[in-house]
Amino acid sequence: MSELKCVGKAVTRKDAIEKVTGSAEFIEDRFLGPLLYAKMKKSTVAHGKIKKLDLSKALKHPGVKTVLTGKDYKNKIGLYLVDRDFMAVDKVRFWGEPVALVVASTEKAAAEAVELIEVDYEELPGVFDPFEALKPEAPLIHEELGSYEVVPIFYPKAGTNVANHFKLRKGDTEKGFAEADIVIEKEYYVPQMQHVPIETHKAAAHWSPDGKLTVWSTAQSPNVVRQLLAKAFEMPMHKIRVISSYIGGGFGCKAGASLEGLVVPVAQKFPGYVVRIVFNREEDMQGTFTRQALYSTLKTGVRKDGRITALEYKMIWDGGAYTEYGVNIVRAAGYSSSGAYDIPNVKTDSYCVYTNNSIGGPVRGFGMCEMQWGIERQIDYIARELNMDPLEVRLINGMKKGSTTASGQVVHDVDYEKCLKTVADQIGWGKKEQPEKGKLRGKGIAGLVKCPAQPSNAASSAIIRINEDGTAHVMIGATEMGQGMLTAISQIASEALNIPIEKIDIKVPDTDFTPYEWQSVGSRITYTCGTSVKRAAEDALGQIYYIAANLLEVPVEDLTFDGKIVYSTKDPEIKATIREVADSCKKCTGEGIAGPIIGKGSFVPKNMTNLDPETGQGNPGMFYCFGATGVEVEVDIETGVIKVLQLATSIDAGKAINPQLCTVQLHGGTIMGLSTALYEDVRFDKGVMLNRNFTDYKIASIDNTPHIESFIIETPETNGPYGARGIGEQPMIGVAPAVANAVCDALGVEFNTFPLTPERVWRALKEKK
Amino acid sequence: MLSYEYIKTGDLQEAFKLLESREHVYPLAGGTDLIVGMRGGKFVPELILDLKDIEEFKVLTEDNKGITIGALVTLNEICQFKPVVDNIPILAEGCHSVGSYMIRNRATIAGNICNASPAADTSAPLYCLDAVVNIIGSGGSRTVPVDEFFNGPGQNALNKGELVQSVTVLKPYPEGKGVYFKASRTGSVDLATVGVAVQSWGDRVKVAVGAVAPTPVRALSVENAVNEYGEKDWSKAAALVNNDISPITDLRGSREYRYHIVEVLVRRGLEQTMGV
Repeated sequence: MSELKCVGKAVTRKDAIEKVTGSAEFIEDRFLGPLLYAKMKKSTVAHGKIKKLDLSKALKHPGVKTVLTGKDYKNKIGLYLVDRDFMAVDKVRFWGEPVALVVASTEKAAAEAVELIEVDYEELPGVFDPFEALKPEAPLIHEELGSYEVVPIFYPKAGTNVANHFKLRKGDTEKGFAEADIVIEKEYYVPQMQHVPIETHKAAAHWSPDGKLTVWSTAQSPNVVRQLLAKAFEMPMHKIRVISSYIGGGFGCKAGASLEGLVVPVAQKFPGYVVRIVFNREEDMQGTFTRQALYSTLKTGVRKDGRITALEYKMIWDGGAYTEYGVNIVRAAGYSSSGAYDIPNVKTDSYCVYTNNSIGGPVRGFGMCEMQWGIERQIDYIARELNMDPLEVRLINGMKKGSTTASGQVVHDVDYEKCLKTVADQIGWGKKEQPEKGKLRGKGIAGLVKCPAQPSNAASSAIIRINEDGTAHVMIGATEMGQGMLTAISQIASEALNIPIEKIDIKVPDTDFTPYEWQSVGSRITYTCGTSVKRAAEDALGQIYYIAANLLEVPVEDLTFDGKIVYSTKDPEIKATIREVADSCKKCTGEGIAGPIIGKGSFVPKNMTNLDPETGQGNPGMFYCFGATGVEVEVDIETGVIKVLQLATSIDAGKAINPQLCTVQLHGGTIMGLSTALYEDVRFDKGVMLNRNFTDYKIASIDNTPHIESFIIETPETNGPYGARGIGEQPMIGVAPAVANAVCDALGVEFNTFPLTPERVWRALKEKK
Repeated sequence: MLSYEYIKTGDLQEAFKLLESREHVYPLAGGTDLIVGMRGGKFVPELILDLKDIEEFKVLTEDNKGITIGALVTLNEICQFKPVVDNIPILAEGCHSVGSYMIRNRATIAGNICNASPAADTSAPLYCLDAVVNIIGSGGSRTVPVDEFFNGPGQNALNKGELVQSVTVLKPYPEGKGVYFKASRTGSVDLATVGVAVQSWGDRVKVAVGAVAPTPVRALSVENAVNEYGEKDWSKAAALVNNDISPITDLRGSREYRYHIVEVLVRRGLEQTMGV
């Protein structure tokens, strides 16, 4: 490959000036014009039948335009398992579920009218623990589960609370356990957590008299919103326009469709109005996706030399009241269930279980943080049991080129060993430091892997328009939620087109004008959208050469393009400027040669397959991104307070399109992981979310963020654009287990759950005594 | 969502009239508790009375009486006021541990005590310093010791029509070291799970604790053991704090952990102020 001009450089963010000057538009800035305000009436019970829903007083309240209930929506909605009503119909399944939507000419009137709605419930027994929900006598949360539409790679069990059962059988675990010298079995628990993006969920809808629906949304995927709305409201796609803007953080909570559909029937009823719904923080915490809790049992067979011979992984996920998206997290965790390790015999059962808790759904890591918590803690148990170095056990079992995942997929382009050793070296692995009096120090390490969790045919596309002056517009369907996608994608376009990045314009999507992108999720955009853009750029560049060859009357092979001029390599005096080529090119006789240049590119992965329904074997990974986290902690043995002294993270990016943005992602993911390791869990009392504001739900702030050493490793991904793979989610995955491993090293106390709050650490120490 | 009147006045007499003009009048100084409480529905004002133009409340001085901090002085201003830093640094520590820097740019010590949270970070230092609260109303002025100002969670000693004008830490200043320790979930931008202030006065000590009873409290059992009975084993002295408190379990910590952590922090406070 010739030397890269733009890819691999720390180019300034495309959105930097807009964002630092405060001129960047977020979606609420675009809700213009006669406005109507929507506000939800929420359920006060976690499970119950709606006996009475009296809207009469609310309807009479001044300023109220209409009040809708679940029955005003004809169809259900859902990405994978169509189980969710826009609002409750006849029964509620979680505390805070919307039962009615008031729409008024002011937000105040809407809020007042919400209080005037009278609802009577007949409370049903609630199920708040998935083990209870699995019992045969458990109350059914979805009586109609058997009739729901479902993508046929998920396996709900009608007549139970099981929304999906993912099965994986690799090799022969009985044989594997027989070969083992020791067998270790442990239970793990990962609580619910919240994404807490700085911008809450927001949407607005407008209906034109010609039947065109426009939706403004904070969604991570405008195309999926369009797809789901088209289905739910039985509309053709060209009649739905979904507009995105800069998004103030996604982390998975804005994947799929959430609140957009709520306001669609209102817009239809009041053409010309923009009907808006904006969640406040409490609504955002309680009413949108929560990370599913995971209860798991891990049984591992190991030989004395440290080689893992068998793994049995049972995962019980608290899917919450609706699992339209959550079923796929359960599947992804299942097919990845050996983590970053090559284990010959694996038996996994991963269950998505309905409960009356808040809706489970995607969060950065998509099941990997939860599932690999168990794996990475278990490796440390194994090392202790065998009196081996935990790093050594990881290196012995870690995936290498040609290894197979739990689903039997062969991995290529892997240097997991380098990821591990890099962080180990950084934190001085093997050296014990002297703690302060009353404190103990320890070091911990954890590995990680993740592939994008997406359908095997999730597609992507791009259009590049070359302007008359040789500048370009890149049009894509991916969203910018802070991750820096606009910049990385522009760099790929610049590199492939050989046009300087300053001459490239790129914008966030609008489905009426930008081409299809499945979703901006799963750390996939650099790879999928990046490939589409590279193809579109190559297509445009091909046209530039073709037109220039015609104009200059020389063979295409003789031409080269330096970003400004196309010239013959044989005689540089035979040349044309990009302006001459791109601006309705004509011969000296006046005959036209070609019109405007439009490059197009599309992408669908060719290396993914369906998985066998009985064994879960197949190729679910478009690419596998490995990494590692290393931590040194000092623990105050009286107070239980953990101080992180060193924090190192390494991720194999394949090729960092923009190393600075990669480093920032590594920082962000690591902080988010650290925050869950030490502080975050959603507390429920019989389905009631107790900590739904920032006084009660604490996340890491800058004061408790230690210095982070980040390492970008570059083992090129054969099919990635310029060797790149996605790294957005990965840095979070290893942090919690690395912290727990370090605390365990310091104290000699095991933690099978987190967050490691001072109180939890204190209790564990007290029990040890 | 709320609908209320807002009036800003620089005239104290007018302020008193306005205070009595409606049932639910909320004075506004920094507003860092008020605005959050209004959003959460805890406070439903008919009138918000903005005090920020009242000159009498802006005083920050040291005189022969002591240090007087006006109701409008921000926590960051207190942290940087030299007489506080030189003579009563324990108060600067308490002020500094409230919220974030931005919060402390607005929040006031008067607001912190009027909100009357048992976890108020300035309260335990004020208890140790025997501070007094200067109250003013249409009927005149009165002064109450800070430990009589807190009546219970969210309950202060103000009568209808009264305002806190200032807080005074009287001379003589303590001769000795003072520390404020705060246990919290994240260690920053968080409420106290437990707050402990320990201030030595020569060979005597004052100890006050927050978030372990309906109001901040003086740990008199600890003080007695040290001051009256000459207890020099700080662990033994600290263990007596359990007699002075009645903590609850909430989202920030359990009753048991509070019992434990308050004892640890009192002992550490004694070690650091009274010598090991």
